[in-house]
Amino acid sequence: MSASAHPDSTDLDRLHSAVKREKADLAPESQPTPMWAMFLFFLFAIIAGSQLGFYTGGWSFDVSNPFTVINGGGDPRPGGSGAGAALDPFALAMKKGASGYAVCGGCHQGNGGGLPGQFPPLAGSEWVSGGTERLIRITQHGLVGAISVKGQGYNTPGGMQPFGAAMSSQDLANVLTYVRNSWGNEATMITKEMVQKVRDEEKRATQWTEADLKPFADKNVPGEIPAGPGATAAPAAAAAPAAK
Amino acid sequence: MQTTPSTPDTDLQADNLRRAAIDKSVKVPVLFLFTNGAFWLMLSTILGVLAAIKLVEPEFLGNCQYISYGRLQPAHINALVYGWGVQAALGVMLWIMARRSGQELKSGKSLLLVAAIFWNITITFGILAVVMGKSTSIEWLEMPKFVWPILLGCFLCYAWPIVRMFGRAFRPEGFMVSTWYILGACFWFPWIFITANVALHCLPGLGALGAGIDAWYIHGVIMLFFVPVGVGAAYYFIPKITGQPIASAQLASAGFWTLAILGGWTGMQKYMGGPLPAWMTSIGAATGVLLLIPVGLVGLNHHLTTLGKHSAAASSPTLRFVFFGALFYPVSGVVLALNSAFWTGASLQFTQSWYAFQMVSVYGFFSMCVFGAIYYIVPRLSGCEWLSVRLIRNHFWFSVYGVGTIVIMSLVAGWQQGADLNDPEHWDQTFMNHVVNSRAYVVSRAVAWALISFSNLMFLIHLLLMVLGLGRRSSAPTLLHHDHDETALPNGAHA
Repeated sequence: MSASAHPDSTDLDRLHSAVKREKADLAPESQPTPMWAMFLFFLFAIIAGSQLGFYTGGWSFDVSNPFTVINGGGDPRPGGSGAGAALDPFALAMKKGASGYAVCGGCHQGNGGGLPGQFPPLAGSEWVSGGTERLIRITQHGLVGAISVKGQGYNTPGGMQPFGAAMSSQDLANVLTYVRNSWGNEATMITKEMVQKVRDEEKRATQWTEADLKPFADKNVPGEIPAGPGATAAPAAAAAPAAK
Repeated sequence: MQTTPSTPDTDLQADNLRRAAIDKSVKVPVLFLFTNGAFWLMLSTILGVLAAIKLVEPEFLGNCQYISYGRLQPAHINALVYGWGVQAALGVMLWIMARRSGQELKSGKSLLLVAAIFWNITITFGILAVVMGKSTSIEWLEMPKFVWPILLGCFLCYAWPIVRMFGRAFRPEGFMVSTWYILGACFWFPWIFITANVALHCLPGLGALGAGIDAWYIHGVIMLFFVPVGVGAAYYFIPKITGQPIASAQLASAGFWTLAILGGWTGMQKYMGGPLPAWMTSIGAATGVLLLIPVGLVGLNHHLTTLGKHSAAASSPTLRFVFFGALFYPVSGVVLALNSAFWTGASLQFTQSWYAFQMVSVYGFFSMCVFGAIYYIVPRLSGCEWLSVRLIRNHFWFSVYGVGTIVIMSLVAGWQQGADLNDPEHWDQTFMNHVVNSRAYVVSRAVAWALISFSNLMFLIHLLLMVLGLGRRSSAPTLLHHDHDETALPNGAHA
């Protein structure tokens, strides 16, 4: 130690007051630990332990999916290990289309029944379940003038606006698939690619009339139909990559 | 004049002189480390503001490559961790160990100074290299390869005298409570640092395991370096200032050993469900939750110690910072457990909540404890008292609000991001939508870093004035608050 055992007054004067006012270092006590803390720590240990067990994948260096032991290594995300069901493009399009239909429901009504004389029905309509090309064109560009649906005449002032043009191809495809498969309708799904194809081919700025649309009445836009009624891809083939 | 040397009064005077001599022996390296650390912290907080703004508005300040988010964010973190964190920690470790062991720093003072200078030069080049685009892209190790042997050497220059002081100390009862954390930090940092750098820079073809090792490194540095230094400082200063002995030596011992055993097992849960062997992430997750036990033991001990003494935090700057830091230790433990456990981690994985953990432990807990230590240590080394109560108050409150905002906002943002990503409704959405949705949280992060930046400007100015010897010449400590209730300690008792 550089400090002398017999300090003189000069040393003490030089000593900074911060050092002088310090408290001595204290030895710790031995207070008891509260019981609730012990229970809490046991709880932590139990929660921690539950991270082991199944999730270790059998301590194998070859297993990286922590759900191997529980469900055989399937997709654990919400929707379950049968992720194929949640990911089925038709089911997904129906779900999405139902919310997208809010745009249409204002006129065509929530039940797809329309209003007599003003807004034609979608339920059971040959315009909906007929050729996909005509349906896409109507929603993409709008429709004006008199039109006959299910034998009834309709003529809305101003006609139907090109609502579909404001949607993405995917959203429009979802809504159309929904419309074609609700209220008793059953028809093939319409995909994003089909909508895109029509958009690329047809750039008109005015609404269609019934006469203009005649050539497309029964025309379907070519393209893969991944799922749903009239699917072109076999379900087994679709499921194969997922099962790998 | 006293003639008998064994009277209590003379003993006290000799003790005072000895402590003053110890302070004098470590003055130069400790003040150098603190001052440079404060400069790096200032830089880091400014970079934090810029990086957060660039994340929301990439065109901010022009389209220059040197200030893109991808370079600013690593520069911000590296300045925070190596420039401020490790540097300030070394200063606190050296001072506490010297004081607690009663050993002066006998030789090698110039070596310590040289090591500190090299540390700063190396980091300057390292961070410049990151900004110039030479980053290694390894989180928390972005600085180029050449820096790590130099940093390691500099660290060991400090670790060696600290360990030697421990070895030569007379060990009274309770000596270990704070010193074993500091001793542990001396050994654990080199171990983690060498392992991670050798594995990541020298072993070829690690593949996905490299990412796992990096995550392990980050958690290791936090749990086995920043946490021990912060806890060691809290264990030293709380009884020193309140005059209340640590409540339980047994809890202290259990808290240390559980941390020592568990600290090095966590980290890889960051890649749960990823291409690592499942048991690695599983062990990381289990340990991340299990670490609540050492965290809880220390928190409980501090709680029992300070029960009924909380009013002292109103007047002593040191105690106020250390209290707040000690309070944030359990919070960081809970955030780690939430990130780690599979049920919550499935949502929080790869989201901003991991940033919440890094910031709550490095700034909320570690840095606040170290600020407290600096407010205690610097007056003893510089021979003058802190100038301004207002500067200290600003430093405290802006730091508290800033780091609180970062932690809460990042956690909420993380939960939202994770829940959205996992929601089947969102699976056909582009990823950009999630990025856009989290913008509001990043804006709040920028604001929070601006608050912290302001608080550290106060701190830096104050510290520089103290180091230059321009502090108050007075025998009374700078207290935040005049005592007006009888539960508070007598005026001169704490500083």
